[in-house]
Amino acid sequence: MKRSRSVLVLLVTAGALALVFTSVTFGGTSKKAASPYKVALILVGPHNDGGWSQAHYAGMQYVQKMLGSKVQFTMKENIAPGAQFNQTVASLSSQGYKMIFGTSYGMITKAVAAKYPNILFEQATGTDLSKNLAEYFGRAEDTVFLSGMAAGAASKTGKIGYVVAFPIPEVIRHANAFALGAQLTHPGATVSLVWTNSWFDPTKEKKAAQSLVGAGADVLGQNVDSPAAGQYAESAKVPWVGYDSDSSKFAPKSWLTAATYNWGPYMLKRVKAAMAGTWKSGFYYGSLNDGFTGIAKYGPGVSAATKAKIATYMKKIENGSFYEFTGPLYDQTGKLRVKAGVKMQVLTGGANSLYGMNWLVKGVIGSAKG
Amino acid sequence: MRITFERRLRQPRWLSVAVPVGSVVFAFFLAGLVLLATGHNPLSTYRQLFDAAFLQTGSLTQTLISATPLAFTGLAAAAAFRMKLFNIGAEGQLYMGAIFGAAAGLYLGGTGSSSPFVIAAMVVTGCVGGTLWALIPGVLKAFFKTNEILTSLLLNYVAALVLTYLIFQSQSYWRETKGFNASVFPVGKQLPPSAVWPSWTIHIQGGVTVPLGAVLAVLAAVVLWVLYARTRFGFEARVLGDSERAARYAGVRVRRKILAVMALSGAIAGLGGASQVGDFAHSIDGDPNGLQKLGYGYTGIVIAALARYNPFAVVVVAFLIGGLENAGNTLQGVDFPAGLVGVIQGIILFSALGGEVLIRHRVRIVRTKKRAAAAGAEPAS
Repeated sequence: MKRSRSVLVLLVTAGALALVFTSVTFGGTSKKAASPYKVALILVGPHNDGGWSQAHYAGMQYVQKMLGSKVQFTMKENIAPGAQFNQTVASLSSQGYKMIFGTSYGMITKAVAAKYPNILFEQATGTDLSKNLAEYFGRAEDTVFLSGMAAGAASKTGKIGYVVAFPIPEVIRHANAFALGAQLTHPGATVSLVWTNSWFDPTKEKKAAQSLVGAGADVLGQNVDSPAAGQYAESAKVPWVGYDSDSSKFAPKSWLTAATYNWGPYMLKRVKAAMAGTWKSGFYYGSLNDGFTGIAKYGPGVSAATKAKIATYMKKIENGSFYEFTGPLYDQTGKLRVKAGVKMQVLTGGANSLYGMNWLVKGVIGSAKG
Repeated sequence: MRITFERRLRQPRWLSVAVPVGSVVFAFFLAGLVLLATGHNPLSTYRQLFDAAFLQTGSLTQTLISATPLAFTGLAAAAAFRMKLFNIGAEGQLYMGAIFGAAAGLYLGGTGSSSPFVIAAMVVTGCVGGTLWALIPGVLKAFFKTNEILTSLLLNYVAALVLTYLIFQSQSYWRETKGFNASVFPVGKQLPPSAVWPSWTIHIQGGVTVPLGAVLAVLAAVVLWVLYARTRFGFEARVLGDSERAARYAGVRVRRKILAVMALSGAIAGLGGASQVGDFAHSIDGDPNGLQKLGYGYTGIVIAALARYNPFAVVVVAFLIGGLENAGNTLQGVDFPAGLVGVIQGIILFSALGGEVLIRHRVRIVRTKKRAAAAGAEPAS
């Protein structure tokens, strides 16, 4: 008995040692590629979420396709801002990555950028700027407005539901743009909000969609990252406006359209500049004109008249003759917030700026506080 | 010939080390099969894991950042589980400790370098926060015999909601209200400079930063070991864990023990939360996709199980698992799925718990002699 026991111990120890030994000696070293320019994309959610992160991933693939072997891209997903993000940056830095795209607010702070002065940082939706930190985002409110027009046209009762994430200016202005668009094609339309407190949470989003439809909404829209609300809309036979990317495959009959982001061209421009040494920090706010934002292809529920009207307004926005956030704009209580003819600016104007908006327009039902 | 599975009379000490080690080896073997099935080379993956966790420059610093909260939650779990008190609530107790500790730091802190007074206050309030949260299931168990697994687990969700509420749904004391960034996205107030916990640098491998939390975790392990191995309190707790009846007959006050051990467990987890705020985040992280997704409390249970509730082993295992977590962030990319590290950890837990069975039982192959006699050849035992 004693012998078989010691044999067992020997086997276990030998096994452990063998594992360590073989992986350390025969595991091979990590690839060291000298020539390609190493760029990393850090996603807050899964790369195939059918929404925000997927759109960024598509941008990365676009750059990879355009630059081929000159650039080596890696992608990290499900990285939360904070300690996890910092760890990821630390390991990317030690692996020789020269440029990092962070795709969620709060990922790249001034402190992080200062810690790695040799890496170029691009932060989406943020506001901090420094010598090696640039910010980029775009006029999604324009395309959300256009998608709202489709929602208003598809609604019979004028009651629209909108699933939203956090009560922050970005989401509030998108909700407002959506409502303004819906009210253009359907005067008097109301948009009810349900907050999920998460960018990506299919379960909560489905529940939000259920409660909105249960309360009387006959069209659904969203400013969150998964197509769960759309899947519910398909089962409830309710038209649905998506967000971030073309998710029509999740709800082929309900799909109307969506405001989409085309991150690729901006990323390509910046990677090229970084490789050529001409990269400079700045605040980029893209629009329809440079292809940064767009409208996804229409579903079967959008009438030809609506398509024409949306096309008209898209042209007007592009040539500057129309801007949805031009006064007079009233808030939920009916108070006049933006005077007639005044255009809301991106950063200046406090609560009347796009980045500071904390009030909801007339016709939006729900609290701006969450 | 038959195979019997019988309880051991004695549990040899070498098994206590061999089985956890063996179960980790087995887990890596199984995970290697998973890797092969998903088209990766297990050996090079493990080599990269090891590199990223311990060998690359700066990796030890990052590993310690991952390992420190895990050591705290592992010790919290070990402290309670040793007495068969299944405190699954280390996650929530950590959040509460973070909230309380941050409040102390924000209130008492000011300019200047790290103040021992402020830090001591944060340590104490962090422990208090965790203790209070742990006493809820503790009281329910002690006085109403409510299952502590359910109560402590469900309170984790409540604590998470409180944490999110403080930053995202209210203008609380912890929330930053001044400045442009604060209006763009809800964020917690930054700790004043004198409330930031110090760290020390060891000059190996290009400089390894050891945070105060790591030192406190080791101290907590020592205290816990002394408590359980050398004091009457610990002896009574162990007896109570082995047999409640025997403990009662021996005069152990069961209710008080339950409350005391839950309080201790909660305090350690709460200290982990204070360390998260003081050492690393320097503010409260209320983002549902931030601290709450990292699952430190639950991983602590895996660590405690693997370490067989020995406080020193918990610290070692926490260091190794911290390395695994750190390496997981490095390895994941287009080719390496993000969930694989979680799969490996899960397999380790299952193997460790399965290995538990081997420690308490043994497999015996009984050779039976064939009798020459005719009818009913009974096997001799």
